[in-house]
Amino acid sequence: MYSVELRGATKRYPGGGAEPVVALDNVDFAVEPGEFVAVVGPSGSGKSTLLNVLGLLDDPTEGWRLLDGTDVTELTVAERTAARKESIGFVFQDFHLLPTLTAVENVALPTAFDPGDESDRAADLLGRFGLGDRLDHEPSELSGGQKQRVAIARSLINEPAVLLADEPTGNLDTETGESILAEFERVKEEGVAVVAVTHDPLVEGFADRVVELTDGVLEGGIPDEADPVNDPSPAPDADSGIAPGER
Amino acid sequence: MSGGEREPSPEAGTDGGLRDGVAGRLRGWRPAVAMAARNLRRNRVRTVLAVLGVCIGVLAVAALGIFGNVLALGAQDAIGDIGTQVVVSPNADAGVESLSAADVASLRRAVDDPAVGDPAVVPLYSDNAVVEGPSSQTFATVYGVEEPGLAFEAAEGRLPDRHRQGAIVGAGVAEDLGVGAGDTVGIAGSQVRVVAVLAESQTFSPVAPDDAVFLPESAFAADGYAQALVVAESGETARAAADAIREDVNAREERVDLFELAAIVDEINDFFDLLSTFLLGLGAISLVVAGVSILNVMLMSTVERRQEIGVMRAVGVTRRDVLRVLLAEAGLIGAAGAAAGTLLTVLLVAGLVAATPAVDAALVLDPTNGYYLLLALGFGVGVGLVSGAYPAWKAANERPVEALRS
Repeated sequence: MYSVELRGATKRYPGGGAEPVVALDNVDFAVEPGEFVAVVGPSGSGKSTLLNVLGLLDDPTEGWRLLDGTDVTELTVAERTAARKESIGFVFQDFHLLPTLTAVENVALPTAFDPGDESDRAADLLGRFGLGDRLDHEPSELSGGQKQRVAIARSLINEPAVLLADEPTGNLDTETGESILAEFERVKEEGVAVVAVTHDPLVEGFADRVVELTDGVLEGGIPDEADPVNDPSPAPDADSGIAPGER
Repeated sequence: MSGGEREPSPEAGTDGGLRDGVAGRLRGWRPAVAMAARNLRRNRVRTVLAVLGVCIGVLAVAALGIFGNVLALGAQDAIGDIGTQVVVSPNADAGVESLSAADVASLRRAVDDPAVGDPAVVPLYSDNAVVEGPSSQTFATVYGVEEPGLAFEAAEGRLPDRHRQGAIVGAGVAEDLGVGAGDTVGIAGSQVRVVAVLAESQTFSPVAPDDAVFLPESAFAADGYAQALVVAESGETARAAADAIREDVNAREERVDLFELAAIVDEINDFFDLLSTFLLGLGAISLVVAGVSILNVMLMSTVERRQEIGVMRAVGVTRRDVLRVLLAEAGLIGAAGAAAGTLLTVLLVAGLVAATPAVDAALVLDPTNGYYLLLALGFGVGVGLVSGAYPAWKAANERPVEALRS
């Protein structure tokens, strides 16, 4: 079973003219647990859209989406929020830490509104990423590499199935970028599937598999297409795959 | 649509009961309020200005409300017993020129009821005459009254139980003529000894006792009374007496006209109610302005923090929790402003009482003023929540994918 999987996923945006913009064109994509996949491609090739669709931030116009083998193509807003919290971790190029929260609080943000205190777990996670002495620092007091480590710790607080990274090294120098990628290696060793969308050749070096997205068309999205075990469970049906947009 | 979001309260649906449900709900708010407080500290100047706006609005509502209330209380104090008299006069429209002895008897019967406080009925003859003092003269109403003690009070001399002889002079007339008890005044040519001078009237009455002279009934040759005073203990019993007279004496024919001071008191009270509402309305305008400023602050801050809110949503924070954080921010602004405004009002009113001896402290300490303080306090918090509702709703419902796209 794949951690996350897209089958025949197409994403069209209403364009300015008569023709809608096709950001994803019949994409088949799957990641196994513990696999690090780098998605490369020129700007505007649909990389961010792929990540948003995988991360349940956006819905495919057509096709199927599975998370841990469960069909999550059509969910309500609330269900998608819950599923993101349950199974998906995000790491962004700009780190996107909340400036008013300390490192520990940023890590615990996904659980901040739940009963129970996850501070200890958050502190443990930060310790694992070498930030044990920065627990109560605010993001403004941290370097870029430290911020990205906090962001990775945050993405792991709920023990997700998939970690989705959008240009994770984009704002870091080469050395720091390498150390962040080394952290991804550790993350994937815990069985988390890692998908990084990137321009950075450095990331390709760390990835188990590199797939290229060009004008919404993805090559080599499935690890081993011939493997009959990995046949998609719901039979593809050309008409019913249209998912409503969020709200 | 948020109904499907996971409820943070684990007790939901069990026998845990209402208290657990409420506790769970409050628990959901605590992290939101903590986060909101930090967000407010981020832009202190803006927060302080928004709080100041609410503070001024609450101050305006509370201070103007109390001001109006003190005015009304003061007026009530000053006109206190104005409403205790009912003046009964013959209804000239129905051809009744004067009140006969039978009319007076039926008036007495009508009000002879413990429920209306058994008020005294004092019939009056009435005429006009020139009253001469030792050195001057004045034009005055001359009444014939048998039992003046039931309706009036003497400042000088003593009011006889039965008025048999001599004149009782109103305060105004006595002052004009420069006469006192024991002096003699000339009325319509005959000399009459003054047996008493009335105390200055505290109430407004068409009888106008200040400018009148009261003689015994025997001095009048008229065949009917011009008026009858019904003197009750309180405004309420006066009104009840008037109602009883309307029902009994005016049952078949409108024989008498009633002049009820209680009705005037009602109108005065109505006026002060109106004044209070008007003043509150003035204050409310400034509170609305404060609300608009909160709206502006919250809209600005949610636009600035669009990405942050997008991140929160992306990592799995529910729309409801985002809404809670933002509502808590607006609510905190409102609550802080309301608390400051209430405190400021108390200080202002206390200062005003200390500085102006004319203001009666008892009126200011009246418990009804506390009601205006609470009202303003509640309005302040409410304005915060109402103004915060739209920006919070808007931000919470934005699609995270849009918000993250910088």
